[in-house]
Amino acid sequence: MLEVKNVDAGYGKINILNDLSLKARENNLTLLIGPNGAGKSTLLKAIFGFVKTSKGSIEYNGKDISSLPSHQLVDHGISFLLQRVSVFPELTINENLKLGAWAFKKDKQKVTQQLEAMYDKFDVLKQKRNEKAGLMSGGQKRTLEIARMLMSNPKMLLIDEPSAGLSPKIAKEVYQILHGLKDDGITLLMVDQNIRDSIGYSDYVYVLEQGSVSSESKASEVEANLKEVVQSWLKF
Amino acid sequence: MDFLVPLLAQLTNGLIIGFIYALMALGLTLIFGVLKVINFAHGEFYMLGAYISYIASRMLGLHPIIGIIAAVAVVFIIGMLMEKALLTPIYEDKVERKDEYALLITFGLSIFLMNGALVVFGPYQKSPEPLASGVLDLGVLSVSSGRIYAVVLAIIFMAATLFIINKTWLGTALRALSQDRDASTIMGINAKTLGSIAFGLGAAMAGAAGALLAPVFLVFPIMGVVPAIKSFVIIILGSMGSIKGAIYGSLLLGIVESLGVFFLSPSYRDGYSFLLLIIILLVKPKGLFGGSQWNN
Repeated sequence: MLEVKNVDAGYGKINILNDLSLKARENNLTLLIGPNGAGKSTLLKAIFGFVKTSKGSIEYNGKDISSLPSHQLVDHGISFLLQRVSVFPELTINENLKLGAWAFKKDKQKVTQQLEAMYDKFDVLKQKRNEKAGLMSGGQKRTLEIARMLMSNPKMLLIDEPSAGLSPKIAKEVYQILHGLKDDGITLLMVDQNIRDSIGYSDYVYVLEQGSVSSESKASEVEANLKEVVQSWLKF
Repeated sequence: MDFLVPLLAQLTNGLIIGFIYALMALGLTLIFGVLKVINFAHGEFYMLGAYISYIASRMLGLHPIIGIIAAVAVVFIIGMLMEKALLTPIYEDKVERKDEYALLITFGLSIFLMNGALVVFGPYQKSPEPLASGVLDLGVLSVSSGRIYAVVLAIIFMAATLFIINKTWLGTALRALSQDRDASTIMGINAKTLGSIAFGLGAAMAGAAGALLAPVFLVFPIMGVVPAIKSFVIIILGSMGSIKGAIYGSLLLGIVESLGVFFLSPSYRDGYSFLLLIIILLVKPKGLFGGSQWNN
C-alpha cells in the first residue's frame, strides 16, 4: 500500500533519514520503534511532505507521492495524527470536526453524515459539540483529533506517538480505537515509544536506528524478545 | 447647552471616522492573525484604494460606489499577488529570520508603492467624486451625506468580513490557519493559497477605507502614513490579533480624537491617539482585550 524506497531526508543540511526503505502493508498496523533521534517522526513527516526528501521515492498504491504538496495527500486518502496537540483550541468541537471534511466540503449531505457518524462513534464529542476544543482534557483532545482525521474517510493513517502525555487508562482506549480502525479497512503506520503497550496492537514492526531500518519482523516475534530489543537501544 | 450641539457633532464625526478606522484596523489584524506578519505596507493599500476610486470616478466617470467596489476588488488582487510574490519564501523555509524578513519586505513594499504613486500621479492632492453632496439634517445635528454613506458602506464591508470569518468554510479555515498552520494542512487546507486570500482581504479592507475617506481627506502619495500608524495604535491598544479589540479600539480612538479636538486643540489631533495608547498600555499592558485571540 505504502512503500518507502531508499529515502534520504532531513532538516537543512542535516540528514536524518539515510537510504531508508520500508513497507506499510494494507490493512495492517505497522509499528515504527527505535531510540530517540532514530528518525521515526521525521519519516512520517517526510511521507506527509512536511520534510522534503532529497533521494528515493515514496509510493502509495504504486504512485510516487514524494513531490505532492502535503494538503493534496488528504485527497489521496492519507491522514496524519501529529505527536503534539493539534486541535484548533478556539474553534468548537463541531467546527474542528467539520474541518476534517474539508476535502468534500461542498457535499453538505456527506459532511452531515460523517459528523453524525463521528458523534455516534465518540459520545464524548457529541455531548460537548458546541464547546471550544481548547477546554477539553488531553484524552478528549486526542479523541477529537482521531475523529477529525476519520472525517475525511482516510485509507491510510500516519500516527505519531498517539499516547504521548496521556494516562495509561486513556492511552489504552486510544490504542483500542486505533486498532479497531483496521476493521474499517484502514492501514496504519504508527510511531511509538510506548512499545510495551503498543506492540500488542501491531502486526508488523520496523526498528529504526540512525535513520535506517536495522531490523524488521512480525510484531509477535518482537513481543517475545522485547527485553532484548529495548536493551539494544540502550547502547546508543 | 450651547456647547452640546458642537460636542455632539464632534462625537458623531469621531464615530464616523472610528468606523472607517475599524475597517482598516480589521484588515491589519486579519493579516497579522492569519499570517503572523506585521504589514508595514498597509497604509499604501489604503492609498491605492483611494487612487483607484479617484481614477474610476474622475477619470473614467463611473459612479463613486462603483469606484469604491473597484478599489476593493483591485486592491484585493494586488494584495494577493504581493503576498504570493514577496512572502512565499517565509513558508518555504527559504529565509532564516522570518519575522525580520516580513517586516523589511513589507516596509520595502511600502516605500516602493509610495514612490510609485509619486511617479505616476505626482505629488498633488486629488479629490475623487464624493459619494453624495449636501447634508443630512438630524434635528439638532447636521451631518455630511457623503460621510453617512461612507460609514454605512464601512459597516457593510465589516459585516461582510465578519460573516465570512464566522459563518463560512473559508472563514473557519482562516481561523484554523491562524491557530495552527500544520494542523490546517493536515485537514487538506492549502495554507499558501489561504494565506494569500487573507492578505488580499486585509489589503482590500485598507483599500476600502482609503476609497471611503478619499473625498474627505483627499488623495496623495503619502496619505496612507498616518492612517497606517493609527491602525497600528488601534491593534496594539485593542490587543494584537483581537477582532473585538480592533473594532472597539477604533471607535474609542475616533471618539478620543474628536473630544481632544473639541476640548483641547485640533492642531494635536494625531497626538491624541498616541496619548490614548500610552495611557491604556500603562493600565492594561496587554491592551483592552489582552490575551484574546484573532478568533473572538
